[in-house]
Amino acid sequence: MNAQHEVLNTVIATIRSTINEDWIQHFDIDADTRFNDDLELESIEFVKIAEALQRHYGEIDIIGWLSGKDIHELIGLSVGQLAEHIITAGR
Amino acid sequence: MARVLITVPPLTGHLNPALALARQLAAEGHELAWAVHAQRIGDKLPAGARVYALDDEIQSEDLGSASPKVRGIESVRVFFEDYTMPMARQVLAPLEAAARDFAPDVMLVDHQMPAGALVARKLDLPWATQVTTSASILKMSPVLDAWVAEQYRSLQQDYLPAEKRVERPDFSPQCVIVWSIEALLGNAHARVPAPYLFVGPPQTQNRRGIEFPWSWLDASRRCLLVSLGTVSRDRDTRFFEVMLQALAQLPQLQAVMVAPASLAAQAPDNVLVRDYVPQVELLSRVSGVICHAGHNTVCEALSQNLPLIVAPIRDDQPVIARQVIDAGAALFMRHGKVTPETALKTIQTLLDSPQLAERAGALGAQLRQAPGEAGAAAALLALACAETEQLPC
Repeated sequence: MNAQHEVLNTVIATIRSTINEDWIQHFDIDADTRFNDDLELESIEFVKIAEALQRHYGEIDIIGWLSGKDIHELIGLSVGQLAEHIITAGR
Repeated sequence: MARVLITVPPLTGHLNPALALARQLAAEGHELAWAVHAQRIGDKLPAGARVYALDDEIQSEDLGSASPKVRGIESVRVFFEDYTMPMARQVLAPLEAAARDFAPDVMLVDHQMPAGALVARKLDLPWATQVTTSASILKMSPVLDAWVAEQYRSLQQDYLPAEKRVERPDFSPQCVIVWSIEALLGNAHARVPAPYLFVGPPQTQNRRGIEFPWSWLDASRRCLLVSLGTVSRDRDTRFFEVMLQALAQLPQLQAVMVAPASLAAQAPDNVLVRDYVPQVELLSRVSGVICHAGHNTVCEALSQNLPLIVAPIRDDQPVIARQVIDAGAALFMRHGKVTPETALKTIQTLLDSPQLAERAGALGAQLRQAPGEAGAAAALLALACAETEQLPC
């Protein structure tokens, strides 16, 4: 498994453990899955996921990255974009 | 007597509180006029109402229709960018003409009718904003706030002189009437700074009589009302099907479900599916409510001390859901994802948690004490009096 896959899997596992509802444990989540449309997550839950990832990855600023997005970008935000940011920022 | 010009968008949730306020003002003898989309809502106005039509030259399809399928924050973006703002641009001119012609002592402007706010500001008329729910006066996040400010900046640019432009023109600097109670707001978010007056929901509503088989209700069993409101009722049937599966395992309960009649065939014996219900009367007979966190339904349930399960879908529902959960009177269900197992557990928790009903009762007491349209009318008239120094207003 390469580093990209590892980050994506960590993001997906963090989403599952943070939301911690029955359906999400077996819901098919991949890089294209969108937080608003596909997962029905509200912003308060999204922030919790971001905070958990920030704790996991330490130096990487996820909350700051999010606040630089505009509303259209936030609406369409996908799991893959979040993983991509972690990979890019971690280099 | 005061002359009052009312402007609201052609949406039931915004028209209804204005109608309650108008009945109050008319009963006190004041002179009213409406600047509204008459082709759409003219038939809902009081008989003989003085109307300035804003849609004489506008095709109905010019107004973006509310997309039924979008959810969450995307529905907020669509409503604002594709509905409220284009409509504001369309009606600025006819609305200004109406205000000049009627020469009101005071204007009542719905929060989703920003053209009215700009006209009042341009003509230096006294005006109050009406806000119909407990959600839209909050600053939700810097990203959202910046987006909203940008929308208003561009709307004001071509219409108001530079010295009259402000970051949030939609909030009157004189009075913002909120048809909700402060206790629902919580402290999770700051408010847009404005002179708020919380009047609670309207206390009188025009209701058409809706038939209901009252004898179906079994006094020996507790009953729940399940409703997603009129806008989302026909969205899809998944949520209702999940509720039916959960309720089938709770024969000691009854439930009335406001849903398409086609679902009746799948309903277990203890669930009655109805297209429409007399909601307020029915609420006096149930022990709890499962709903979409629409502000009306939430307030009507709390007013009767009922705890809720909230499954928000769109618009301001996620915010209202969070408010009533944080106030301790509701539990959460994820509308499009909830499983029968989780629904069953959540319903059991709702019925086994007296503290939820206690918190609902505390909010209910405040809702019942709120002044409603009488308080709103007094505030509006105070603005008119301050301007004209006439007595008695």
